Amino acid sequence: MNNATPSNTIVERVASDLGKYPPFDRLPEQRIRQVAQSLFVEYHEEGEMLFRKGEQLGRFSYMVMKGAVRLFDTIDGEEVLVDLCDEGDLFGVRAIFGTSDYLLSAQVVEESLLFAIPVETIRELSLSEPSVAAFLTGEIAKSVQNIEHSLSEAFDLRRGALEPSELTLRCLLDNEPLVVDQVREVITCPPHIVIREAARIMSENNIGSIIVVSENRHPLGIITDTDLRKKVVAVAGQVNERPVSEIMTSPVYTITAGKTVADMTMLMVRTKLRHFCITEDGTPDSPVSGIISEHDIVTSEGVNPAVLMKSIMQSESVEQLGAERDKAEKLLQMYIAQEVSIHFVLNIFSELNDAVIVKAIEFALAGMKAEGMKRPDVEFCWLSLGSEGRKEQLLRTDQDNAILYADPPPERREEVQRYFLELGKRVCDTLVACGFTKCPADIMASNPQWCQPLGGWMNYFRKWIQTPEPKALMHSTIFFDFRPVYGSTPLAMEMKRQILKEVEQGRGFLQFFAKNALQNPPPLGFFRNFLVEKSREHAHEFDIKARAMMPLSDASRVLVYEQKIGDFLSTTERFRRLGPLISGFEELAAEAVDAYEFLILLKTKHGLANSSSGRYINPEGLNKIERQTLRNVFSTIGKVQNMLNLRFQLDYIRD
Amino acid sequence: MIELIRKKLLLRRCRNGELPESVCRYLHRVDEPFRAQAPIEAARFVIFDTETTGFDFKSDRIISIGAVSMRGSVIGVADSFEALLRQEVTSERDAVTVHGLLRRDTDSGLDERDAAYRFLDYLGNAVIVAHHADFDIAMINQVLARHFGIRLFNEALDTASFAKRLEKGPYYNLAHKSGEYRLDNLCERYGIRLYDRHTAPGDSYLTAQLFQRLLAVGRKAGIDTVGKLLLK
Repeated sequence: MNNATPSNTIVERVASDLGKYPPFDRLPEQRIRQVAQSLFVEYHEEGEMLFRKGEQLGRFSYMVMKGAVRLFDTIDGEEVLVDLCDEGDLFGVRAIFGTSDYLLSAQVVEESLLFAIPVETIRELSLSEPSVAAFLTGEIAKSVQNIEHSLSEAFDLRRGALEPSELTLRCLLDNEPLVVDQVREVITCPPHIVIREAARIMSENNIGSIIVVSENRHPLGIITDTDLRKKVVAVAGQVNERPVSEIMTSPVYTITAGKTVADMTMLMVRTKLRHFCITEDGTPDSPVSGIISEHDIVTSEGVNPAVLMKSIMQSESVEQLGAERDKAEKLLQMYIAQEVSIHFVLNIFSELNDAVIVKAIEFALAGMKAEGMKRPDVEFCWLSLGSEGRKEQLLRTDQDNAILYADPPPERREEVQRYFLELGKRVCDTLVACGFTKCPADIMASNPQWCQPLGGWMNYFRKWIQTPEPKALMHSTIFFDFRPVYGSTPLAMEMKRQILKEVEQGRGFLQFFAKNALQNPPPLGFFRNFLVEKSREHAHEFDIKARAMMPLSDASRVLVYEQKIGDFLSTTERFRRLGPLISGFEELAAEAVDAYEFLILLKTKHGLANSSSGRYINPEGLNKIERQTLRNVFSTIGKVQNMLNLRFQLDYIRD
Repeated sequence: MIELIRKKLLLRRCRNGELPESVCRYLHRVDEPFRAQAPIEAARFVIFDTETTGFDFKSDRIISIGAVSMRGSVIGVADSFEALLRQEVTSERDAVTVHGLLRRDTDSGLDERDAAYRFLDYLGNAVIVAHHADFDIAMINQVLARHFGIRLFNEALDTASFAKRLEKGPYYNLAHKSGEYRLDNLCERYGIRLYDRHTAPGDSYLTAQLFQRLLAVGRKAGIDTVGKLLLK
């Protein structure tokens, strides 16, 4: 090696990467270049260990330039995550001042590019630059706190005296999935025994299924109660004496052990199967080690969407309905904790919420009938509006709903409205009892203004569309997201058809609509200095709904109305549908879907943890991955808004 | 064998004082025997790139050399190299649009001989790594032949071929799909952010990052010694 001057270009390149992050961002350029010149660039693959707890301190501290590294402690052989470092984070700082060994282990979680900075460089720097010294003292203090915090949490968990619901909440925080208990002592039989014999084994052992195995215990097929009913009992002739191999279902669906409740629920939905065979390597070519049936999955946590749906439908009182909806909240916690695909969660919850509404309407109709109120011979449709209309309501937030009914003959107008208004009031009250609070703006079916015949509704829409006025438009967007939940869907479709026709004729409306969607620009320069709300109540918090979700849902709404899509869709469904329709939009639309799903997840997690709507988020409470993802989400929002701006030539419209 | 004789002849010229000191120092260093069993983590690699006035190595000239070194898989920023060369031959218009170096930039550069001394001092007996290495090595060899009647004796590895070998096996025909192995495409495939593209130091830093990833892939395939890496 030689002592010639290093390449300026490369040193500058490294310095400009390094200078983006604290503590180097405050240093004069010349200083940053000195650090850059002394460092080493390392690439590490997922899983590699950089140092271990108890090892002697090394010669370098590290800054993550790309990828992620987790720092964890080991307690009684169990790993406890202490910190997750991503782009711009410095770790291994103990090596600078410490005299003992490493207190934590560092492992690469996704392929990473690291700057290894010699400890002498940083030591010298901290002597001459007070800002660096202050930063490092803070980092070290923080890491000690982090360790203590994680420890106390781990011990709490071990004490095991937690309530089940609290435990699920813990899971939410700790990401520790609940594993389905498998049946370990599996009853099996060889393929050549006769059906009668297999049935005898099943009834002796009181089991609903038996696995047919080869000599080396590899699964060949399965026989269940259903097979016996359908293929044996119901069939004429002496089937009983035939070998089991003739009626078994084959092959068996095999999996490896250790699947979570969420995994199994998804698998059950996807495969429509009710029994899963566990083998040593998850294929049919290894010995059977267990079996999981639908029953095991359902009883694992006591909550299951199918069971819940059934009990909601069979509720006999408002109290019972409310209690069932409370159970759904637990299911939600579990799903979020286990990172079940948000798409799946949204579908289940809009079904559950709809079922609660349907039940509430049925209660009201039955009650009114019992009290002798005669239902007018006019079709009606219960509409969900806003986020519930877009099937995006996971947490029970405000109600936004309305009633639409067919135009009655003029002489019966009042009588008909009186009836539906009473219906609206009763349903809204029931929903309040089930935990859906009243809409502060009173956009509910109990308000005469929003309990209207088709003609009345079209007057509203025509006014919004023909003379778009920014403020009125802003408040009317939730109506454009209406979705039929109960009653006559064709009536709702007719209204949608008429609205689309108006939009087509109403020149300039889409521009206004689009402009409204750009009301909330996303915060752009966002890293370690989040844009927070100025209002006193939510000072230092970030309004995730207005600043991140609304820009996307607004944009998707404008585009579906522009593309004349009549279906009642969620924001993500809209983007999925729009992708192939608008040229050059496919990739961005897919990005928007991911972004929106992430935001719903974040808002829900936050809402569950704080028993709130989750709308206002304290940036300090976000973990690094969330912060980083959020940053990408903002850039996606920026791109979507840009696209809207160009498409509707909004730069030409002046306020 | 011929290589060995050629090296011995050159070293004799050194003893007779017929070659400059830098060149002789270099020749002594590359005379050390090749150790196939040496672990990759202990080896020194010099990843380099040249920018030239064109693509004909007979008539075109080098106008800049950039390089960065790696000890095993770790890039050492301090041990990097950069030289601009002053040349009489002007760049073809096409080449200027690629590297962006104009005549007045290169006028302030080193004379070719000085640049060669510095580069040989820097290079030593490291394993040379470059993207489409044949071209860059040929260009350097032209310079060395013109001034000193020598050429490079280092072991060398082409990152394009190495990537191909790891991804497709040694017998894949690169000819008809060479685009897949362009530096830009490989960087994209391996998630390396592109910047300072088409400056010699910038490209060498990118190539070094690519080489880090390729070494990691290779390690999984059991490539852990210099011998296995160079197929020797």
